[in-house]
Parts: sequence; C-alpha cells; structure tokens
Amino acid sequence: MSSDVRFTDFKSDKQPTWCPGCGDFGTMNGMMKALAGTGNDPDNTFVVAGIGCSGKIGTYMHSYALHGVHGRALPVGTGVKMARPDIEVMVAGGDGDGYSIGAGHFVHAVRRNVDMSYVVMDNRIYGLTKGQASPTSRSDFETSTTPEGPQQPPVNPLALALASGATFIAQSFASDALRHQEIVEAAIEHDGFGFVNVFSPCVTFNDVDTYDYFRDTLVDLEEAGHDPNDYESAKEVILDADKEYQGVMYQDEQSVPYHEQHGVTEDMSEIPDGAPEDAMDLVREFY
Amino acid sequence: MAEDLNWAVGGEAGDGIDSTGKIFAQALARAGRHVFTSKDFASRIRGGYTAYKIRTAVEDVQSVVDRLDILVALTQRTIDENVDELHDGSAIIYDGERSWEADIPDGATAVDVPLKSLAEEAGGAIMRNIVALGAACEITGFDVEYLDEALEKRFGGKGSKIVQNNKAAARAGQEYVQANYDLDLGYDLEVTDEDYVLLNGNEAIGMGALAAGCRFYAGYPITPATSIMEYLTGRIEEYGGHVVQAEDELSAINMALGAARGGARSMTATSGAGVDLMTETFGLVATSETPLVITDVQRSGPSTGMPTKQEQGDLNMALYAGHGEVPRFVVAPTTITECFWKTIKAFNLAEKYNTPVFLVSDLAMSVTEQTFPPEAFDMDDVEIDRGKLVDDDGVDEWLDSQGRFRAHAVTDDGVSPRAKPGTVDGAHMSTGLEHDELGRRTEAQDERVRQVDKRNRKVETAKNTEEWEYRDFGDPDADNLVISWGSNEGALVEALEYLEDDGIDVRVISVPYIFPRPDLTEEIEAAEETIVVECNATGQFADVIEHDTLTRVKRINKYTGVRFKADELAEEITDQLSEEVPA
Repeated sequence: MSSDVRFTDFKSDKQPTWCPGCGDFGTMNGMMKALAGTGNDPDNTFVVAGIGCSGKIGTYMHSYALHGVHGRALPVGTGVKMARPDIEVMVAGGDGDGYSIGAGHFVHAVRRNVDMSYVVMDNRIYGLTKGQASPTSRSDFETSTTPEGPQQPPVNPLALALASGATFIAQSFASDALRHQEIVEAAIEHDGFGFVNVFSPCVTFNDVDTYDYFRDTLVDLEEAGHDPNDYESAKEVILDADKEYQGVMYQDEQSVPYHEQHGVTEDMSEIPDGAPEDAMDLVREFY
Repeated sequence: MAEDLNWAVGGEAGDGIDSTGKIFAQALARAGRHVFTSKDFASRIRGGYTAYKIRTAVEDVQSVVDRLDILVALTQRTIDENVDELHDGSAIIYDGERSWEADIPDGATAVDVPLKSLAEEAGGAIMRNIVALGAACEITGFDVEYLDEALEKRFGGKGSKIVQNNKAAARAGQEYVQANYDLDLGYDLEVTDEDYVLLNGNEAIGMGALAAGCRFYAGYPITPATSIMEYLTGRIEEYGGHVVQAEDELSAINMALGAARGGARSMTATSGAGVDLMTETFGLVATSETPLVITDVQRSGPSTGMPTKQEQGDLNMALYAGHGEVPRFVVAPTTITECFWKTIKAFNLAEKYNTPVFLVSDLAMSVTEQTFPPEAFDMDDVEIDRGKLVDDDGVDEWLDSQGRFRAHAVTDDGVSPRAKPGTVDGAHMSTGLEHDELGRRTEAQDERVRQVDKRNRKVETAKNTEEWEYRDFGDPDADNLVISWGSNEGALVEALEYLEDDGIDVRVISVPYIFPRPDLTEEIEAAEETIVVECNATGQFADVIEHDTLTRVKRINKYTGVRFKADELAEEITDQLSEEVPA
C-alpha cells in the first residue's frame, strides 16, 4: 500500500444523489478519511453495500466494491475477507439493511468476528422508500405506514451486538467529523469485527432525530472517561435508554479474528493451472 | 445380463445400517467386484426403517433392480418392506434370539444366526451387524478375509483391539452358518484382480471442486447436499481453502459470492428448498458477472416434500429461477464420474463467462456409492481455465481514457475482463443495478441495451464455442429413442440389455447439459418414437424437448420418491412403445 494515499482517492466521479444535508455525506467522508488514515488504498480495499440510501455508497466511493442485495452485505463482506485476508474489507449499511432484513446476518457476522469494519448509517427511518418506520424508529414515531407510531420498542443494535458476542462496539455522529473518523479508524484497526452505528440524520423524512437533537443530547464517552475495555461499564452505557452516546463503547483487546482462529491465512485467489499436485491422493482415499 | 448379487441390510436408523453396508461394499470392491448401492432412509435420527442395498457383479453395475437375494434383517419391518423383491432363492439372515418373531415369506430361506450372542462372545453386542456380514460371506461363498481391510479402515482409529474383535465377530458369523446350515442357494461370488474406489455423487462433486481449485465453500446443512460440505471440511484446508457453515442459504450464497469477488473459485450447494432462498441473490451473481457454482442436489418437493426421497423436480427452477432475465448455465451430471468432471467444467464455465453455473444433481446420485477404477478420476486430465482474469499488466488494455477499469466492458464475445482485489488500477464497483461499463448505475436506454445484449452474447458465445455433447448408448440407428437427463442414465443403459433380450432396439440419449443444451431435432426426427424419462410428475425436460424440436414426445415419469430401476424401466419403455403418441 502506498503511503501517499489521500482520502479523495477513495472518491468516485459520481456525484451523490443524497438529499442536500443528508447525514450520509458526513458518514461517507469519515469512512474515506478513515480508510486513507489507516494506510489503505483503493486497490486493496473492498467496500460492500446493501440496499437503501446507504447502499449507494459503493457508487460514490472508489475501491473494489459490490453493491448487493438488500440485507446481505455482511455475508458478502465475510466471503471477501475469507478469500482475501490481505484485503481491507469495509461493509456499509443502513438501519433497515442491517437491523431489519439483515438482522439475522448481523448477529452471526458479529459472532464470527471476521476482521472487517461495519458502518451503519442509522437515520431511524426508511428514506429511499420515502419515510416509513425503521427498526430503530421510536415507538411513537408517526409515518405513512405507522400513523400511530410503530408501537414497538426500537431495536438497540449495540445491545444486539453485545449479546451476540461483539468484540468492538462503537457509535458516532455524522456531523462530528473528526470523532466519526477516529471511531471508524478504530473499527478498521480492531482485530476483528469493528461495528460502528452512525447517527446519520435524514433531513427529509425524520424531524425528530435531527442534527439539533443529536447535538443537544450526545454524550461523548471519551470525554466522560469511559473505559471501553471494561465490559460492565460498556454494558451500562449500551443499555442506557435515556442517553445518546458517541465513542467506542466496548473493545475486547483479546479479540482473535476469524481468519486467525481458523487458520484462514492464504490468498485463495491463487490456484494451480491443473489439479493440485497430490490430487490422486483424494481418489485413493476411496479405496 | 450381469451375474449380479443383490444384498441388503436393514433395520432402524441408529442400528449402524449405513456403516455395515459400507463395510460390505468396500470388501466387495477390494475383491475386484463392482458395486452399486442404494439407501432407503427417513428424515429422523433414530427409529424408522432404513436400509443399505448393494448390487454387485464382476461387470460394471449402474442400477438397482427389483430383486433381493440376501437380506440381513434386524427388524420385521425390514422383511416386510422388501417382501416383493424376495424370491425362492433369497436368504434372510436374522437373529432368532431377539424379541421379534421373524415372519419369513414363503420360498425364502431363513438363516437364523444368534447375532447378538455371537457378537458378545467376540467382545460386544455392538458387533452383531458384523457377525451378520460374516454369515452373509458364508452364504455367498465370499471369503471373509475380504472384510478385514474394510474393518481396519472403519475401526482402525479405535485401536487394534476393536479391529481384532470385529474380525473375530465376522468369523464367528461365518463359522456359525458353516456349522449349522447346509445351504446351496447357488451364490458363489467370483473375485478379480481389479481394485476399485468406492464413492458417491456428492463425494465426486466435492473432489471435483478440489481438483478444480475451489477454495471457498459456504453452505447451510440440508439433506441431501450436506455431505458435499462434510467432504470438503477437513480437506479444502489442505489447499489453503475454507468451509463456512452459514446461518442460512441467503447468507451462504452471498458469502460464496463475496469470495468469488475476492477472486477465489467458490461454491455453495443446497437442495431445492435452499435454492428457493438463494434465488434472491441469483440475479445479482449474474448481473455483477460473478463466477459462481451453485449446486442443487434435488430432493422431492414442493415445500418440505419428502426430504429423503428422490426427485428431479427442480429443472424448471434451475432454468428460470430469479426475476428478470438471468443468464446462466445449467449442467446436470448423469453419473458419479460425471459428477466429478462436470463440477470441474462448471468452475471453468463460471470463470470463462463470469456467469453463475447451476450444477444439478439429485438425491439418488448423492447417496449411491459406486465402484470405479481410479483412472476414471485421472487428475492429469484436469484442465483449469480462468477466463479473462487480468493481472497488474493485463489491466491496462481494459482502462478507459481516464484510467478507469472497464469491469463490464462491452466486447464482441460478450465476456468482460475480471480483476480481483489487489490488482493495481483494477478497482471497480459491481452492482445488482443496471450499470455502464465501469459498473456505475445507469438507466440510460442505450447503456441498458448494450449491457443486456453483452450478457446474453456471453451465453451465445458459449453455445457456439463450447461442447455441449450428449451421451449416446444403444443402437444409434434404432427407431426408438429414449432421452433422459441426470441420474437416470445408469438404469437406462442397463434397461437396454433387457430390451435387447426382448428384441427391442432402442437408442438412449443422456443429456448432461440443460442450458445450453444439445439440439436434438435431427435425432428425434430420425426416430419413429421418442420417450423422455425423468423423475418428476409433469415432464419438465420433456416440455423443454418439445419446445426445442416442435415435436410431441412420450413420457415416462416417476415421482414415487424412488429412483428408476433397470428392469422396471425396460418394462415401462416396452409398454409405452405400444401406445399411441399423444395428440
């Protein structure tokens, strides 16, 4: 990897079609800066995105990328990383992609602890389909399909991650550019599954979880002296429904990523021109 | 007709039926005899009837028949389930000391052996099935020593004491029958100097994948595909690969897709119910132009259907699954050796054309163990073609004027280059959205048409340049033509012998390629009558053949959950030939 990579190298020539003011601009900028800041370059980076406003990120970034099926970005990232431990894998998603249609994969990706980062643009709304409730929408949040509000508690993705055995759980705010970048960098550098839930306000359809709301309420865990290596205090902040936090909530420093745990270290893309040299042994096994 | 012996062991699931049968099959293979096995089993862990059946001959055997000569029955139900196949020369080995009263059908010879007592004397009741194998050896004139190597293979890991006990148990059974019965049923198993390997279709697919350089497999356990995953686990690692048990089939195919995007030869396998889920991602694989092998080991459907029973009901799904128009290849191996070779071909097709390949097998082939000379899997003949995979130097010719990699370049043959991550200047995006040459989303009409045409052109190129040959048996000039796909080939080839004995000339065309497929218009025109044979109710392949050739065909369909048998097929074909062609 070259040392003179700038974050703009990760930018494609496609202009984003996100609404002006969308949190996803800040989220993506931080991702690009974090990738460059951790010494990656586009030719050695693979970005996976799902469907929704967040899914468009692969188009606006420049790297190896796959924009896949709704909710299945994590399995794709898992496959890329297993085949290519030498490649930096970053998966982007949204609250619908990750916590609704892809919630099952989220749990298992967390458990597997594959060495990749997962950045979720959480705007607590379905934006691209024009404003329906998402799994992180508030219980009383009125939308076109939930006129009285969902009347269900929102998913707590951080708690879901913790319960699934996460080794890195963080939250950031798209508008706090520096902290967001730092937090994503920490997720990239984490030896294992680096999960960052990003408050990424939808300026068009969500008039509750706004920039102002987060600016007014957000508590920075670093400033608050939180120790992310302490599981018990991590649990406390993660389960605290009264406050919105940003920062690294939990990091298991003993984390062993999947490929090390399972001895998956080779570049699987390299294969011989014919059958492997000792392949007749495979036949002889059947005597 | 081959001088064959049909042998079976049956009991309840959990009785060690499979391993008992396999030991006998391996012993026969060691003795230079050909073996073709089949299994009756249910979707449960313990209890219920299960059987392992072996047909063996000195010549090649490729089918089961409706006849059972020696039956080791651990339960009355085993006898009841097989009563129609027993005959006057059959022998039933059972344990008269057990609690059930054996009801032996008329004509069959009862061979009452105290299996449990003899096993206990040899070291443990658990070896009662091995005592039965020894008894079977005596009845069939088969040297009990041939069991030794199979017993070593099976029990070697448990220590020499266990192996010795099992050998003693086998001999106890053999000696008991020798001492207590004076049987002359006419069985005298000939041995030869040949030495065969014994494997099933799923093992052949797994071995083919390893030979082809498959390094990544993701799957979700499902009967009857799981044994592919089990075969690869523990072996693929030797080549630097890995197997992941995914949380579901949705994940499995996406993981496999991810690994393929990483540049690895990658596969997933499932059965029809799993393909239902994987279908979601099928279009993405095709439109992102990702080489991927998706194996469907068919079982009886729809829905949960009969999960442990045979069917070829997924042909339409393989051809048409997925919304929109999804270019694909569909390959359906017709024998166990072909499971190996067609798997390799599937990987090459996938990478040459950056296209998903459906490899369609079925339950019958997946559980049947058959003998082959090891040369049938000659690894020196394995060829690898990675298509237009470009390296750092090769990228240049595919860059546009601004230095951007044209991952979906519009080419004459429709095939675009493939750059794997890490290739300098190869960075690009691929997407399930319609896209331009660079992989960027577009809805421009001309771009849309160019990409659709390009993807379809790949298939045309493959149609015109690859070989999609069928397999031809019987009399090529016969008036009667029988067409089949998938695993029915063996039974049909053997049915030819029965038909020949009855003076009926038949040509058999066995088709391993469903899409693209050989054009059979001339063959059908040359024949007076054409019958399409398949294990489904509606005749999915027959429909396809009629569509291709604009000719009505007769159909033989079996959807009982049991594969075709050679003698049964010969009868069905004879009956059909005397009937009117449908209007």
